[in-house]
Amino acid sequence: MLGFIIQRFIQAVGVMAVMSVIVFFGVYAIGNPIDIVIPPDATQEIRLEAIRRLGLDQPLYQKYFTFVSNLLQGDLGRSFVYNMPVLELIGGRLPATLELVLISVICATVLGVSLGIYAGYRPDSWVSKTIMAVSVLGFSVPSFWVGLILILFFAVHLGWLPAGGRGDTVMIWGVAWSFPTLNGLSHIALPAINLALFKLAMMIRLARAGTREIMLTDTIKFARAAGLSEATILRRHLLKLISIPIITVFGLELGSTLAFAVVTETIFSWPGVGKLIIDSIAVLDRPVMVAYLILVAFLFVTINFVIDLVFALIDPRVRHGASA
Amino acid sequence: MYHQKFLAPLAFALGLTAVTAASAQTLTMGVRGGPESMDPHFSALGSHAEAAKHIFDTLVWSGTDLQIEPGLATSWTAIDDDTWEFKLREGVKFHDGSDFDAEDVKFSIERIPVVTGPTTTAIYVRRVASVDIIDPYTVHINTDGQAATLPNDFIRLFIVSSEAAADYSTAETAAEGFNSGAATIGTGPYKYVSWEPNGDLVLERFDDYWRGMGAWEQVIRKEIPNDSSRLAALKAGQVDVVNYVSSVDYLALQQDAEIDAVIGDSVYIMNLQLDQREDTPMVRANDGSALPENPLRDLKVRQAIDYAIDRETMVEIVLEGLGKPANQMMPVDFFGSNADIPMPEYDPAKAKELLTEAGYPDGFQVDLYCTSDRLPGDGAICQGLGQMLTQAGITTNVNAISKTVYFPAQARLEYSMFMNGWGTLTGEASYTLGSLAHSNNPDVKLGAFNRIEYKNDEVDMLLQTGATMMDEAARRAAYEDAMAKVMADKAYISLVQLQTVWGTKAGSLTFEPRFDEDTLAFFITPAS
Repeated sequence: MLGFIIQRFIQAVGVMAVMSVIVFFGVYAIGNPIDIVIPPDATQEIRLEAIRRLGLDQPLYQKYFTFVSNLLQGDLGRSFVYNMPVLELIGGRLPATLELVLISVICATVLGVSLGIYAGYRPDSWVSKTIMAVSVLGFSVPSFWVGLILILFFAVHLGWLPAGGRGDTVMIWGVAWSFPTLNGLSHIALPAINLALFKLAMMIRLARAGTREIMLTDTIKFARAAGLSEATILRRHLLKLISIPIITVFGLELGSTLAFAVVTETIFSWPGVGKLIIDSIAVLDRPVMVAYLILVAFLFVTINFVIDLVFALIDPRVRHGASA
Repeated sequence: MYHQKFLAPLAFALGLTAVTAASAQTLTMGVRGGPESMDPHFSALGSHAEAAKHIFDTLVWSGTDLQIEPGLATSWTAIDDDTWEFKLREGVKFHDGSDFDAEDVKFSIERIPVVTGPTTTAIYVRRVASVDIIDPYTVHINTDGQAATLPNDFIRLFIVSSEAAADYSTAETAAEGFNSGAATIGTGPYKYVSWEPNGDLVLERFDDYWRGMGAWEQVIRKEIPNDSSRLAALKAGQVDVVNYVSSVDYLALQQDAEIDAVIGDSVYIMNLQLDQREDTPMVRANDGSALPENPLRDLKVRQAIDYAIDRETMVEIVLEGLGKPANQMMPVDFFGSNADIPMPEYDPAKAKELLTEAGYPDGFQVDLYCTSDRLPGDGAICQGLGQMLTQAGITTNVNAISKTVYFPAQARLEYSMFMNGWGTLTGEASYTLGSLAHSNNPDVKLGAFNRIEYKNDEVDMLLQTGATMMDEAARRAAYEDAMAKVMADKAYISLVQLQTVWGTKAGSLTFEPRFDEDTLAFFITPAS
């Protein structure tokens, strides 16, 4: 177990190092952030001054080493654009993304798995066929379009829900969250639906495929023979047996949505980290980009690690090794 | 079960009305871009300055048509070749009750080079050598040499309180001090309440503002960068006014009785720029082989390009009517605009004739570059240009790319034919001609944005002498002459002047659109 953890940790560090190098060199290839933001009446001297002051004239490897040494001391640098420490900038916007993504992914999973199990359990009913047809839409329709249609319909036409932004917040543990308030929930509703559609579709199909496969196995036949009720079979046996692929996908989707809910955040003006990263890319705010992508790499590695641990918990075969 | 289905939408609707009912005296604005910091000296970006103008005042005010008017300074005179005397407005109070005086002006000017960010505001004080306080309401600004346009530079010189910002004027402390509100004390119409980067800026009215009391008790500026979402927020009633309505949405708005569109001329003009270097990377013969020399250096070829462009169609079809044909790099009536320059004609036959005379009967091939995400219609204008030029015989490959890639590449001189918009934000010619038309010469600090190696010695002479002429009439004549010569050379071909569209709820607000596209809450009043 300890060896497993150490091995994963080394992997994590390796991934983050590679990520930082790629981003550094990639951004360097595009060019100087000065040229995007410099005011039109700046003289050559002022431009060179600004480049010097921001340290953009140092050779690349020197910049990289300064960055790494700061990173090891916990300092992720200051944003060019906002002149705020990057950690503060990202940290300030993280709760907004967290609450949106968690609400959306959890609802999508709970609803998706339930619908998928039903669709797999009674594959020939018209309800199941409708569920599968709608799930295809969830895959194929682009999320920015769905988002705009949701706004158009629910916010502009019907006026039930707000068109964007975040609602009223309450402070819990020193951080501002908006889900405890009704106003906050009304603001979360549409972006959460928008984010959830794709995951919902995927969960439905995964759960259905798993259910159809498991329902035909001997385990279920013997459980029925033992007199267990259908509900108990579904809960105790089926759910655990189909859960490994579902949990894997859940972890992957959680990670990627947390990191890259850009489209939804942009359309709904949700003040989260996804919007921060796309804005930073547009103005080549290198400190924010590099810091954010490294944090994302760390996040993915952590999530995968936790998922592997959860497997070990759920599935005794993984815990005790293949020879059990 | 049945009544539960009613409960949720009912609850949402109630929540929504509760929020809107409490805001009867509040103006909520949906803006495309917001400030990067509450420190007005941090950035020279238009959206940053626009937000800062709510909390702070500038020394010199730029009016609706960008011509300068008294602001916190009531008058200014050049008392000798390198000194300007500014008389300051008396009786102005800061938000914390303290008085505005010359200390604050000196402090603000000296603070700028220390705290400015990458979009440097040092340009506004680049000619200032030192500041002397003569009495509490008079300052002498000593410049490095003759600075005829110093008052124009000060239209974005924001004045902060020397007491409140005293501890927050280094690069490390400025952001925290201003973003927390400790130093955000200005003389402007609204007081700072709260701000989130890329989020909402909340302001409340300052009752002792020197221009008078604003109409709104509270102002909330919401940053909504996506055009469709911003307009949806207006239609849903979440905001009262939005800026930068896109041309496609504008057409749809004309059918919508509930939204009014306010249209104003923009200061931005789209200029096509033709590389004048001997070797240019992106021009070649029709079969792909290299040409013996750069065709863009031949005046006849440039004139042919000008004749091939149909500006009327560009405005009517490409911009959906939201623009005007332009014949020079500044709007008319600006200081230095030349009213005698004729509007170029559209004559494709003449274009082909000129090309043949220049030795290119079959034309040639060129890659055209422009931004797709900076100004409204930029990508579309480029595509229109590509088609018009191809019809005249110059096969054009259009590349409309993101400004993030375009500007650094343009600065590295990688392009041969490119187009971007240029806005004369100070309202006078030295800003535009000085940066674009003068040859690139760091020693005289001119030509910093001349990326086509355009050089006309007469123009250089006019611009250098113009900058030193303290006599306004003589300076104006010099700039008008320079403008005429630059446009006749056709290395810069001005295409269209853009128009900006704001959206408001029908009949609810009135305001006069500004050339610099600023949306300022103080000048927006409820329609009576």
